Amino acid sequence: MKALVFERNLARFAASRLASSFGSGRGAAVGPLRILEHEAPALPAAGWARVRPILSGICGSDLATLDGRASRSFEEIVSFPFVPGHEVVGTLEAVPEVAPTPPALAAGDRVVIEPVLGCAARGIVPPCPSCAEGRTGTCERVAFGHLSPGLQTGYCADTDGGWSEAGLVAHYSQLHRVPDAFSDEDAVLVEPTACAAHAVCGAPIHDGDTVAVLGAGTLGLTVVAALSTLAAGDLVASPGAVVVGARYGHQRRLAGELGATAAVSPDQLGRAVRRRSGSLALGSPSTGTSPLTGGADVVFDCVGSAGSIAQSLDMVRPRGTVVLVGMPGKVHVDLASLWRREVALRGAYAYGSERTLDGTTVRTFELAFDVVAAHSLGRLVSATYPIERFEEALVHAGSAGRRGAVKVAFDFRHGRRATRRADTVGRSSTGGAR
Amino acid sequence: MTPRPGLVLEVDRSTPPTLFWHGERFALERLPEGSRVVYAPEPLPALRDPSAAIRHALTHPLGDRAPLPALLRPGMRLTICFDDISLPLPPMQAPDVRQLVIEQVLDMAAEAGVDDVVLVAALALHRRMTEAELRHALGDRIYDAFAPQGLLTQHDAEDPDNLVHLGTTAEGEDVEINKRAATSDLLVYVNINLVAMDGGHKSVATGLASYRSLRHHHNPRTMVHSRSFMDAPRSELHSSNWRMGRLIADSGVQVFQIETTLNTDTFPSQFGFLQRREWEWSLRDRATYAATAAALDRTPPRIARQIFHSIRAPHAMVSVQAGEVEAVHEVTTANVWRQQGVEVDGQADILTMGLPYICPYNVGSIMNPVLVACLGLGYFFNLYRGKPLVRPGGVVILHHPTPWEFHPGHHPSYIDFFEEVLSQTTDPVEMSKTYEESFATDPWYVHLYRTGNAYHGVHPFYMWYWCAHALDHLGRVIVVGGDPAAVRRMGFSPATSLSDALEMASDVVGRSPSLTHIHTPPLLMADVR
Amino acid sequence: MTVRLPRLPTSFPLATPPWPASVPRPAPERRVGADYDHGWSRRYPVRLARAIVLDNVARPAARLVAPTTVRGDEHLRHVEAPVIFVANHASHLDTPLLLTTLPVRFRHHTVVAAAADYFFDRRWKAALWSFSLAAIPVDRSRVNRRSMDTAAELVEEGWNLVIFPEGGRSPDGWTQPFRPASAAYLARRTGRPVVPVHVHGTRDVLPKAAEGRAPVRRSPVSVVFGAPVTPEEGEDARRLNARIERAVAVLADEVGSDWWSAQRRAAAGATPALAGPDAAPWRRSWALGSPPGTERRTWP
Repeated sequence: MKALVFERNLARFAASRLASSFGSGRGAAVGPLRILEHEAPALPAAGWARVRPILSGICGSDLATLDGRASRSFEEIVSFPFVPGHEVVGTLEAVPEVAPTPPALAAGDRVVIEPVLGCAARGIVPPCPSCAEGRTGTCERVAFGHLSPGLQTGYCADTDGGWSEAGLVAHYSQLHRVPDAFSDEDAVLVEPTACAAHAVCGAPIHDGDTVAVLGAGTLGLTVVAALSTLAAGDLVASPGAVVVGARYGHQRRLAGELGATAAVSPDQLGRAVRRRSGSLALGSPSTGTSPLTGGADVVFDCVGSAGSIAQSLDMVRPRGTVVLVGMPGKVHVDLASLWRREVALRGAYAYGSERTLDGTTVRTFELAFDVVAAHSLGRLVSATYPIERFEEALVHAGSAGRRGAVKVAFDFRHGRRATRRADTVGRSSTGGAR
Repeated sequence: MTPRPGLVLEVDRSTPPTLFWHGERFALERLPEGSRVVYAPEPLPALRDPSAAIRHALTHPLGDRAPLPALLRPGMRLTICFDDISLPLPPMQAPDVRQLVIEQVLDMAAEAGVDDVVLVAALALHRRMTEAELRHALGDRIYDAFAPQGLLTQHDAEDPDNLVHLGTTAEGEDVEINKRAATSDLLVYVNINLVAMDGGHKSVATGLASYRSLRHHHNPRTMVHSRSFMDAPRSELHSSNWRMGRLIADSGVQVFQIETTLNTDTFPSQFGFLQRREWEWSLRDRATYAATAAALDRTPPRIARQIFHSIRAPHAMVSVQAGEVEAVHEVTTANVWRQQGVEVDGQADILTMGLPYICPYNVGSIMNPVLVACLGLGYFFNLYRGKPLVRPGGVVILHHPTPWEFHPGHHPSYIDFFEEVLSQTTDPVEMSKTYEESFATDPWYVHLYRTGNAYHGVHPFYMWYWCAHALDHLGRVIVVGGDPAAVRRMGFSPATSLSDALEMASDVVGRSPSLTHIHTPPLLMADVR
Repeated sequence: MTVRLPRLPTSFPLATPPWPASVPRPAPERRVGADYDHGWSRRYPVRLARAIVLDNVARPAARLVAPTTVRGDEHLRHVEAPVIFVANHASHLDTPLLLTTLPVRFRHHTVVAAAADYFFDRRWKAALWSFSLAAIPVDRSRVNRRSMDTAAELVEEGWNLVIFPEGGRSPDGWTQPFRPASAAYLARRTGRPVVPVHVHGTRDVLPKAAEGRAPVRRSPVSVVFGAPVTPEEGEDARRLNARIERAVAVLADEVGSDWWSAQRRAAAGATPALAGPDAAPWRRSWALGSPPGTERRTWP
């Protein structure tokens, strides 16, 4: 059984850092990720089960880790060596022994993993305040308990992740059964969609607000999808306009299909927001995009770079909110306008449970299943690779937008070792970028 | 030698290639055999003594008006309005006609002891002129005498304190114009009538009006019914302006109209080949063409643009007339036709035109795609009297690089118009219903119009309405050498070469279409029978 | 990567120590404005250096930007120094132009009365103007006996004086009224003759406000000297001032026409007023006419 294993090796970290400067994902060949013969880990405790992956997505945070771009603040909450992969749809090998009610699960079911390793999975009783509230994403014990440190499945030495033929171990609280109507591709999109749903539910959106979404990779597109689905279901307020800044033509087309009011290229986003919010702009117009005096009520930054945060701060209204959905690292940003305009900058990480507009509390993954179903988000899977071709796969994922792709995943389905492209997205590879 | 009239040349095997403007470049194109090329008349001779001619016009007015000196008295309010940067094209070599005329008006006013004099640049919703542009148009003497006191003003269509609503015409059109002009004892308007559309009642009723007033004639319905707007009697645009102008006169505003026409001596001698017919190019013309074309091919577009925009035209005044608006305008129009008119027999299936680097709205600026459409389908398409040069359902082929590029200081609303509006609809009626209001009232555009040098927020809509008649009339528009994305955004088809464009046109007009080419420069007006 | 600048010493004794708040700080001595001590600028070595600069730098430079016509310098031939030169004032060019057109006999022995608040407000400016133009500060905002005393003393010592009795440059090109407490007062007090001077065209070369044009534009100028006006017995400053102003007006008239016509109009009391027409600003500006070199060109 083969698996991709990420080892702690300083020389390889340095090499991948260097290689990634030639393009995201290029660090795979020389970096700390190696393909090895690997067995599935032992079940850490009762209540755990083994899951064999069917599809495992490649996430932006995986790429950042491989490229050595991830923040050093993660060092204490991951444990080496680990098998990455947290966007996993797989087959349940056996029902966990002490699974209490409810899980109506049976061996052989397709499941999606909710990767956060919170207090429940770590056997910590009583749970931390966050987990007690159901907000497992912000669990305060991710480095403690009977597991090695690891904020998620795919960053923990004891559980392994989805990039493994042997499979991973998951706690029963992490398992979600996939409805039969879902394709494997739909299912693998549930985890990223849950991130987006969490960001949307946590943002202070009101009816009629102008919402800007910067970046239209998997996260940006799922945020747009979550906004439209959840607003239609009256689970969150209905924004007046959702304007998306997307660099590539296929992203703009998809954003429109998923419910954006307008999708423009990122350099036009400030102007589009200005027009819709009736704001003025500062500075000479001949200097190009200039900071707005008003702007969007909420900006979802689905990129997470210094440039995108600065751009978001320029187009959010005073006392508005910038939600960081994309994973930022160490960035250099001028916060004077945030301070002067009393802008809230908040993170949106993972999921847990959400309080919806009608006052009920619901698990984020349940919302995500609805969003995926409403938009058949499986079409965002543009290409899949067997893990033997992981170097190619990671390069593809690192240049997804440029190559007309959205989500790239590893495929473990038997007899289907060849690269397979989802029909809708694959064809328009380099899109209608202007 | 007297200047020769215009002519229509039939292309045969021995005809040399025809010169096309291509933005900041030129192209020599071989038109299919049997095509017709319309050449403008040669420039008329300049007035020998323009100062004396102006003085004569002011003291011998047309129509029901006393000579100017008799209208001036101490203690009166005198307002002198003048055309803005959009005229003439390209800007003329100093001294500008406006300077020559206004200096004489001021000499008379000084002699009569008129103290209360204000100058107003009649820019309607155009951008404000810069100091250098005002100094060029008026000369330093006028600028230094008025500007320091704040008496050299630019019309502000968004200044509620300086607008006055004079009433509503029988058709329900609001007439709201510059208050200073409307409350003066005498309003002197100095025109440069570059094309037949300019002047007449349009000077005051449009140049000094507010958005509230302008929207009654600057809209898709009016523009579709202006056939063409270069032919005032058949132009709904002009009918509306005439109704407004008469209402302005009836409400007691005394207008002393001064109109001037220029000859078509458009380019200085370095570009002599632009002014001549190809088969008459001398060795020097051919050498300068070859050198210029080769040099421009190697020049970055930015620098080429700067070079072209620094050209000052040697335009010379050929007529000046003053007095009552309608009497003056009749003579002026005849003079414009005398310089520009060419008789053309019948319509063609295809009309081709080479578009230059400049149009009335990008002096010293960038010719953005909306302006390319406006120049081709608004201005050039409408340079006719009788019927269009191209048949209904025919094809227009424009020759222009059409870069996706905007001047953010001059054309901020154009950028949003292009991105937000044209990406949704290219139908003038639809956009006027859905988008016009929000652009016209956008506070940021209003701010830039009033304090910067930006065209008004609604101006790009007007540019598109200008094309409404052509869009309504044509089967297809093809742009040769244009940026494909920009051209498609406007609903046109990009072509890489003229022969490709003709091939594409054959889908619409068949295999053996007739073709007419408007040869510019210089400007011409086709009298189509 | 950020570049780290070498740190300046921040602690005593390398850095300036702070002044204890409880100890009152004596006010620094004011040595600028009307109180500026300019005696040094009239010492021999300084005069020599100034003469070299004036003749070799200022004079050619002034001729380059302002081709100058000098008229009436014959009036200076038989005048005994010291005298008081009185001129209209429209431009900063006036002073260097006047100094460089004076006959050598006067040129290097002349001081210039300059506004204390404008030319002497900083030490370096005071030093610059004292050196280059032999300027002395006069207080133009209020009657300051001391600055006038100094000027009078210098004239009595044998120095010629250039003074612009308008008290500043003309705002619109027309001459402002002459102040009696200026040249006329000094002439009466010292009994020395006043030479009226009219300077024309300097405003076109170097205007007071030059927005929208080149700050310096080459343009011809003229300097006309008139016959000296000597204060009469018992004549008060006000009457003398009026005579001086009239003399300059006649010179101005001469620039626009010719000497004989100007004299005839003067005799008839019809000399045009220096102050220009009493009308709206635009007409006053209009009546100045076109600046030379920008006259209306006949077509084309």
